[in-house]
Amino acid sequence: MSSSLKRLFSAISTRIIAAFLCCAAFAVPPADAADANIPVLVPITGFLSLEGTSQRNGAVLALENPPAEISVTYDVADTSTAPEVAVNALERALADGDATAVAASMFGPQMLAMIPLADRHGVPLVTVSGTAKITELGSPWVFRFFPGDTVAKVAQVDYAVNELGITKPAMIYQTTAYGQSGAAHIGENLRRLGIAPVLEEGLDVKVKDMTPVLAKARAAGADALLLQLHSGPTALLVRAAAAGNLGLPIVAGSAMHQPSTAALLDPGELDGVCAESASSPISGGTPEMDAWLERYRAAFGTEPDAFALGQYDGTMMVLSAIAAGARSPAEVRDYLAGNSHDGLAMTYRSDGSGNMAHSAIIVCYDGETRIPRVVKVFDNVTGALD
Amino acid sequence: MTLLQLVINGAALGAAYALVALGFVLILNATNAVNFAQGDLVVAGGFVAVALAGFLPVPGILLLPLVLILTFVLGLAFSLLAYFPLRDRPPVAVFISTIALGIVFQNGFNAGFGPDPRATPPLFAGGFWQLDGLTIEKQGAAIVVTAAVLIVAQHLVFTRTQFGRRLRATAQDRDMARALGVRVTWMIALTFGWAAALAGTAGLLLSNKFFVTPTDGTAYMILAYIAVTIGGWGRIAGAVAGAVLIAVFEVVVSAYLSYTVAIAALYGAVLLVLFFRPQGLFGDVIQRRA
Repeated sequence: MSSSLKRLFSAISTRIIAAFLCCAAFAVPPADAADANIPVLVPITGFLSLEGTSQRNGAVLALENPPAEISVTYDVADTSTAPEVAVNALERALADGDATAVAASMFGPQMLAMIPLADRHGVPLVTVSGTAKITELGSPWVFRFFPGDTVAKVAQVDYAVNELGITKPAMIYQTTAYGQSGAAHIGENLRRLGIAPVLEEGLDVKVKDMTPVLAKARAAGADALLLQLHSGPTALLVRAAAAGNLGLPIVAGSAMHQPSTAALLDPGELDGVCAESASSPISGGTPEMDAWLERYRAAFGTEPDAFALGQYDGTMMVLSAIAAGARSPAEVRDYLAGNSHDGLAMTYRSDGSGNMAHSAIIVCYDGETRIPRVVKVFDNVTGALD
Repeated sequence: MTLLQLVINGAALGAAYALVALGFVLILNATNAVNFAQGDLVVAGGFVAVALAGFLPVPGILLLPLVLILTFVLGLAFSLLAYFPLRDRPPVAVFISTIALGIVFQNGFNAGFGPDPRATPPLFAGGFWQLDGLTIEKQGAAIVVTAAVLIVAQHLVFTRTQFGRRLRATAQDRDMARALGVRVTWMIALTFGWAAALAGTAGLLLSNKFFVTPTDGTAYMILAYIAVTIGGWGRIAGAVAGAVLIAVFEVVVSAYLSYTVAIAALYGAVLLVLFFRPQGLFGDVIQRRA
């Protein structure tokens, strides 16, 4: 055979083999390839847009960085703050039947409306909603990656009483469901420790002037303030307390740990203020957390909070489930319900009802910077990790 | 805490509310329409100030003229979008269009500035004075003074200038004003502009002390509505008085009883005013256009 004929045969053979391999590649998917579709349905507008944006960012950061063997698609839909908007968004997301799991709204009323739909379709909802009731309805499809009040308020009250030695607290809370739920658990934990608040005051979210309630706290002889307020009102109260030289320790709810709340205040105004939270990513602490912090800043140009990290951890656990072989929504649910996950914020494990987070931290500001220091960690408060 | 201290605290809030209510009643008088986006224009003023402060790190008092001008222009644009195309339709069409545009504003603020609460620079300086046991916040005092200057200036413009007379003529009887050669359309557009400028100023004043978020507008709108209802729908002075009254009422009742009682009492008072004096505490009669 002449050399030119050999080259011709060789070229033809190469093309045939290449064409075969190419067809084979399209015709037969790799046995272990995993495709996941995880819609993100969270409130990006409305009064929860601050927290909802954090939640969205956390989910997106996880979905953009899945384990190598997983291919993920996702769409982000704004649920605003109306339950019917969230339900419609979930209906649309589940219409194709290819959703593996859903990053679902942190807004409790929306979650309560979404749960029956998730039950009907059989798709896991992964959330950072704090509303206690969402895991008390008996749905096997709800997974909460944020400590509820049953965990967070234990940390807040125990720190105030056992570390700061307060005996006459004033409890100031929002008259929203969030505020009232937190206030109930603060009250419960105070009673557990044999303490009664000298003042309990509920504030509408529209209240701007905080001086009257501070005057009442002073007049009642309070030795500390325990807060359960949203972000803006927390900043208003802390600022008013500093301006009025109140001089009482403040142990706030998780809104205080949010960088956007601290950004509203001078570092000096924050001196001595503490807060409970699931985590404080900007405080750093581990190389993994620092690396995540940098990735978050690079992706979104803003500072993360515990909601972002909680949703990131939850979404990563879903992706871990898929990487471990879970393919259907039911298999993902079984994985979430039966395994633990070492997230960046904490170790997560279901307590049997879908409550995955059982740890909380206390952070305090030193008056020099807006970056708080983690002063105490309350691990495994509910005993679910044993 | 003395009653006087509480009144001082409430005065700053009331002064800023007064600017919102003033714009509210101006548009009502000029157009017979209720601008349900007046609160969102307060937020617009706050965010305009936030944006300006981003590249002009100066005290708030130096940002004030710019905020006035920019929100005035915004008010003109608002009238073109929400009022003029619908002015010959039933009044409810304008109500709905202002609500719709307000929601567009809210989402626009959210998209442009994000959901975080933001603060504007203080007008002059932070801190406070101590005077015979009373604490007077410098920013609070600056708010009262600025609002008072604007309200007095508006009064003088309305009562002592030809321009003001034309505006009032337009507000009282549009057809008659037109017959007398007043450019009614232009006057209405200016009224929207001026009302927006007042709301924008309130936004600048409030945003340092109380921060600004995209969804704050609804609360301001409701307060302005209450202030105007209590003060009297046709009365500019009534709107100012109503605003100061509800702010001081809220602060004082909150201090002696509770916030919950204060809010309930405030709305209860509005009901009583509507039952027994529907023209408002300071109003004569409700104006009706022919």
